[in-house]
Amino acid sequence: MKIAYLTIAAAVLALTAWNLWTEKDWRKQATAAMVAIPLLLRVLLIK
Amino acid sequence: MPFEFILFIAMVGVFAACAFAIKLPVSLSMLAASLTGLLLSGNGLGIRHLVEGTFGYVDTILVIATAMVFMRAVQESGALDALNVVIIKRFRTMPAVLLPLLMLVAMFPGMITGSSSASVLTAGAVVAPVLMILGLPSESAGAFIAMAGILGMIAPPVNIPAMIIGGGIDMPFVGFELPLLLLTMPLAIAFSLIFGLKHIKKVSWEELAPRLNLETYKRFGLRLFAPIMVVAILMVLGKTVPQYFGLGLPLVFIIGAALACVVGKRFDPINAAKAAINDALPVLGILAGVGMFIQVMTLTGVRGFIVVSALSVPPALLYAAIAVTIPLFGAVSSFGASSVLGVPFLLALLNKDQIMTAAALSLIASLGDFMPPTALSAIFAAQIVGIEKYSRVLKRLIIPSLFIIAWSIVFIIFSKQISALY
Repeated sequence: MKIAYLTIAAAVLALTAWNLWTEKDWRKQATAAMVAIPLLLRVLLIK
Repeated sequence: MPFEFILFIAMVGVFAACAFAIKLPVSLSMLAASLTGLLLSGNGLGIRHLVEGTFGYVDTILVIATAMVFMRAVQESGALDALNVVIIKRFRTMPAVLLPLLMLVAMFPGMITGSSSASVLTAGAVVAPVLMILGLPSESAGAFIAMAGILGMIAPPVNIPAMIIGGGIDMPFVGFELPLLLLTMPLAIAFSLIFGLKHIKKVSWEELAPRLNLETYKRFGLRLFAPIMVVAILMVLGKTVPQYFGLGLPLVFIIGAALACVVGKRFDPINAAKAAINDALPVLGILAGVGMFIQVMTLTGVRGFIVVSALSVPPALLYAAIAVTIPLFGAVSSFGASSVLGVPFLLALLNKDQIMTAAALSLIASLGDFMPPTALSAIFAAQIVGIEKYSRVLKRLIIPSLFIIAWSIVFIIFSKQISALY
């Protein structure tokens, strides 16, 4: 289950990062970054 | 004047200024308000507190993100169009059954994703033209799908305002299904009939068929509904036999989305998932922002101050404050209202059944999506039915909204008696 959880978190992180990369509006980029940070820390098992 | 009060006013002021004057997204306004709280309280930038705050909702973020991916996959597969066709074909001669069923279809994306906009823009866009074919004026059709949006957002299994309010007092989102069903389903049935029954006319199938998308259902048949059925079954099993089927909502939605890729119309799953996350990001950002906001309020003592102040308010005034301030604050965001006002009000009502009370507060908070100038649900609904001024839709929603407030307050007042019934 832990592997499934981390895989899903990594997939959502990747899609968020992809959206951040392709987005032109800085406000939407900042919002994407706010979402990506906790997901990144969770996927890296830091928190 | 207590310092916590000054901090609270500063945080809410910065939040409102960013959201209304500078027109920043709600998520960034929450971040700015949190930074203001940190700086004024002498905690510096306190980045670790901001990051810590986002973790309060990281699992909710995963649920919403995967739900949006599932909903997008179901929509792309053609299942929503097919569901519409099946219901209209079977129940077109029984308006009293057809209208509540169409309301349920329109609510479905909101129930899964917890977002009223998702409901209005996906299933609402499918249901609204059918309602107009059946004889509803465009204002009533718009009000119908806007109402479906907020009722879907509150109905189980996913209710973000209740998650936010519960998160504020460390109450897990468990045991909310029945209270939320009790709150929303009678309203869904009643409002669908109120909006539609006096206008609906019996239309022959020959007249209806050319205006519906019959192709997908003809081609794929009932298997189109397999993802929805599998998700529903896994959710029920997850509740009844969690030791075997406790997969968690994100995995359940991913299984459903994977199934949707193979049972209906072909589509590019990667691009669909990217688009789904893009649509979800504003809501996900708000959740991260709300987490930061609550974390800073807790760190600085503002949360405790609000709770103590709310506890000292006389009950009658408390209910009046709930009825007025939460929907008004919802003009910024219903999620923001849940966070800033829902949590203190729930704490002020500690003598009530907490699950029922949080569920009822979430229903009042959802009305924020009707509140101008943002009025997301009403604006999207007006666009879908082709009305330029969304105030024409909004007018039809005023009395139902007042009824929703009264209904929710009755549930709060009698929360213990109602919860004793099940």
